[in-house]
Amino acid sequence: MKNVRKANFLQVNNEIRRLLAEEGVIMLPSSQAYKKLKWTRDHFEQKPEEGYFIWVKKQISHPLTTCIAISSPKISQNPRNLIVIEKGVKAEVHSICNTMKKSLYGSHIGRTKVILKEQSTLQMRHFHKWERGDVVSSSIHFHLEKEAKLYHVYKCLVVPEELKTELNSFLDSSSSANIETAVLAKRGNINMYDSTFLNGEEASATIRIRMVADQDSKITSHSKLIANNAGIGHLDCMGLLLSEKSSISTVPELINKNKNATLTHEASVGRISQEALNYLRSRGLTEDGAIDFIITGFLRKTVFVYKGRVPPSKNYM
Amino acid sequence: MIKIENLSVKVHEQNILEGVSLEIKEGEIHALLGPNASGKSTLAYAIMGFPEYEVTSGKIWLEGKDITNLPIEERAKLGIALAFQNPPSIKGVTLSTLLKTISKQTFNLKDFPISFSEILEREINVGYSGGERKFSELLQIISMKPSFVILDEFDAGLDIINLEKLTSAIQDRLICNDISILLVTHRGNILNFLEPDVAHVMLDGKIVCTMDDWRKMWRTIRRYGYEKCKEGKLSSSKQ
Repeated sequence: MKNVRKANFLQVNNEIRRLLAEEGVIMLPSSQAYKKLKWTRDHFEQKPEEGYFIWVKKQISHPLTTCIAISSPKISQNPRNLIVIEKGVKAEVHSICNTMKKSLYGSHIGRTKVILKEQSTLQMRHFHKWERGDVVSSSIHFHLEKEAKLYHVYKCLVVPEELKTELNSFLDSSSSANIETAVLAKRGNINMYDSTFLNGEEASATIRIRMVADQDSKITSHSKLIANNAGIGHLDCMGLLLSEKSSISTVPELINKNKNATLTHEASVGRISQEALNYLRSRGLTEDGAIDFIITGFLRKTVFVYKGRVPPSKNYM
Repeated sequence: MIKIENLSVKVHEQNILEGVSLEIKEGEIHALLGPNASGKSTLAYAIMGFPEYEVTSGKIWLEGKDITNLPIEERAKLGIALAFQNPPSIKGVTLSTLLKTISKQTFNLKDFPISFSEILEREINVGYSGGERKFSELLQIISMKPSFVILDEFDAGLDIINLEKLTSAIQDRLICNDISILLVTHRGNILNFLEPDVAHVMLDGKIVCTMDDWRKMWRTIRRYGYEKCKEGKLSSSKQ
């Protein structure tokens, strides 16, 4: 974790503690962007009081990092974020939202809009880490213009009491989105909604959702793929149940309005196979080690960053 | 090295093995022959300690230690390694990650007479060909630095060229290091390559014949079938 850069944007509770812009990048508190850049008003539902505005105008060689943390009891956060990637620019953003201590009973209602202009590319990694007692609602809307590319990973391995996520993607012609979601719930009620609209010709999207429910947790995932034009979409939802008290529901929906579009989905919810566990145990792993190994694989791709751990927000401060 | 004493095993309430005894000394290769469903793989899994293979009587000793009731991973740590006939897929984790996790020794793939090196960065056992699967099993086993290896139908699904190359790797990496081997098979080709010191025939969950002349045994089996071994005309030599 030594290589972690300080966050470009740091908000603790309701206070912005740091804002480090870089060459070719305009970063402002959302409230100032709303005031100074009138065009941004079209992208905020209302005048924002918290959150960040990032406008990437030139290519940057390293990830921009944002961190919104709760450190005091009973804080309510309402960040409203806007990210704009200019035409032809490639950018990487790491976004972390978390609570820093147990029993703070915080509330985090985050709304983010991301605009990828023509031929731009964004790799975005979005990490959440919460505690029991927190209530979290997070929504993110991606707007991909022509030939834009999006790689988005959302990962929450420590869930709050209540978590609601919403992810909507709107794809123009020849744009592509690769969206991965990984949730590991030990206790809590998680509701996830995602909708992907293939609005332009030859737009393509792959949505992968991986859910692990342990102890006393309930996960519901509602996924929609909508083809309004001749695009290709694939939805892949898989769940692993680790306890008798948990449940996973997956509700995939494919809506095709174009005869030249192809939409597919696969879904499965089950437990870890005893055969796989025995196989790994025969290689010397303990039963718990084998379960961790399988879960790590199951939540793959999201795991390779920082050796599978969510980088603690203190590393960015 | 390993001693199996009067072992009886049931699986899902069905008795499969009955009074099996076997002793494999350090550096010895024993072949366990027999038709399908004779109990060969059951013995392999029972030695490895799989929970659904319940030992109802008898003992398993490894280097003088009673391992009959040890969990799988403890047996692996003590030096037992099993090459699976049909290993399960583990999605999302590469073979190289597994090797890093389990390795007690490192090796250079270039030293192998056969190499499917591209499988290292593929998910474990996902879409592997027959040869890739066996190569993966062999790499895992070698990396564990075992003292006793069970090869369960290692020749199944292998063409003769790959079989020759893989058995050559077994020679170099296991046999030359005096590692004891139990070779479970019902085919003759692998016997030619590995030349076991002792061969046993299992029928209906019992070892009905043991010989140190595996060629004679294999000729009899080919000519008259496994049942001939039951008649006791082939004498036991190393029981």
